[in-house]
Amino acid sequence: MTHSGPRAQAPDASATYVFAVGRDTRAMKTADLTGLAGMPGGERVRLLTCGTLTAVVQTVPAADFTDEVWQLRLSDRQEIERYARAHHEVVSAAAAIGPAVPLPLATLYHDDERARRVLDDEAARFHGALKRIAHHAEWGVKVYASHAPPERQDPAQNRPVSTGAGRREAPAAGAGLAYLNRKRGVHEGRERRREEAMNVAQSVDAELREIAAAARRLRTHDAAPGEQRVHTLNATYLIAADRTDELMRMTTALRERTGAQIEVSGPWVPYSFVGEV
Amino acid sequence: MTDLDFRQGGQPVPGPTTTNLADILERVLDKGIVIAGDIKIDLLDIELLTIRLRLFVASVDTAKKAGIDWWENDPALSSRASRNALEDENRELRERLDALEAATETQAARDDESGKKEDGQT
Repeated sequence: MTHSGPRAQAPDASATYVFAVGRDTRAMKTADLTGLAGMPGGERVRLLTCGTLTAVVQTVPAADFTDEVWQLRLSDRQEIERYARAHHEVVSAAAAIGPAVPLPLATLYHDDERARRVLDDEAARFHGALKRIAHHAEWGVKVYASHAPPERQDPAQNRPVSTGAGRREAPAAGAGLAYLNRKRGVHEGRERRREEAMNVAQSVDAELREIAAAARRLRTHDAAPGEQRVHTLNATYLIAADRTDELMRMTTALRERTGAQIEVSGPWVPYSFVGEV
Repeated sequence: MTDLDFRQGGQPVPGPTTTNLADILERVLDKGIVIAGDIKIDLLDIELLTIRLRLFVASVDTAKKAGIDWWENDPALSSRASRNALEDENRELRERLDALEAATETQAARDDESGKKEDGQT
């Protein structure tokens, strides 16, 4: 039901931006949302009751939330950061009040009435998701392996052709072959280290899944230029609130055992676990 | 980066404030609960967006501290950047040329100097 299309819009038309949806509890109803900026250019962040649910919404200028404007916004690192962080801030604040299901960035309705109707239609799914994430938080876990050392530091045994006393004469016959062999040694060493790093990542993931209610693998990030480590695992786990300590203990133990760098981030609103399972 | 919050009980709340942008984007762009909005906005998936924005640097702050602002100058990212690339190359070449010329002059001066002292020896 996307009522997109060219809709004749007054320049000052507005739209209702929905951040998150929670249960219509007293805590939610009396929540203090002042101080939340919300989307740039929007009015104050407020609550919208829709039957058994309460949505955290904001009235925003419609002209600023068209596909066209967003396509430009998505090409601008600073802009996308500004909007993504604004969204994240409100979602996090909503989840601080009670379980809240975050909606994807830029979920908009023509007005409150439209938003209310759609959310009401989907009430059963929201309640299902709310039940699933209650008393749980999402924790991100990233594993990094150290970068392969530069080739000249490779151990000498990786150079199969080290002739005689090992004196390096001026390029002689076979120097090309030696070079190729050395290259191959370096390559094999790199492959071996890569495999080891992947195994570590696998076992970290496998162990953490044991204590998680749900788990997801995200795409690993490429190394930035000059970064001396390789991202081998980007995973995220839905962890019950009373197992947080266990998660910390496990990651500490895994760090010690594997020697890998393990970064933990959280608690997050369970963004990654509100979809249909 | 491990900005942990050990608040006991209650609801898990705000993600770490130092959270890096890639981590946030991965989550806020996730389709999550599928629900149609009235206004259709085509969000790229995180993979495409990452490619476009080269966001895998830890965080903007960290990156800036480390002096990494290459995304602003990545030719693939903006036409301005590709123009800058040429200008930069041009400028670098000029600088190198200046440096070389300066070095040559200094060397020449020094040679002159030592030539006088050491009686013609170079």
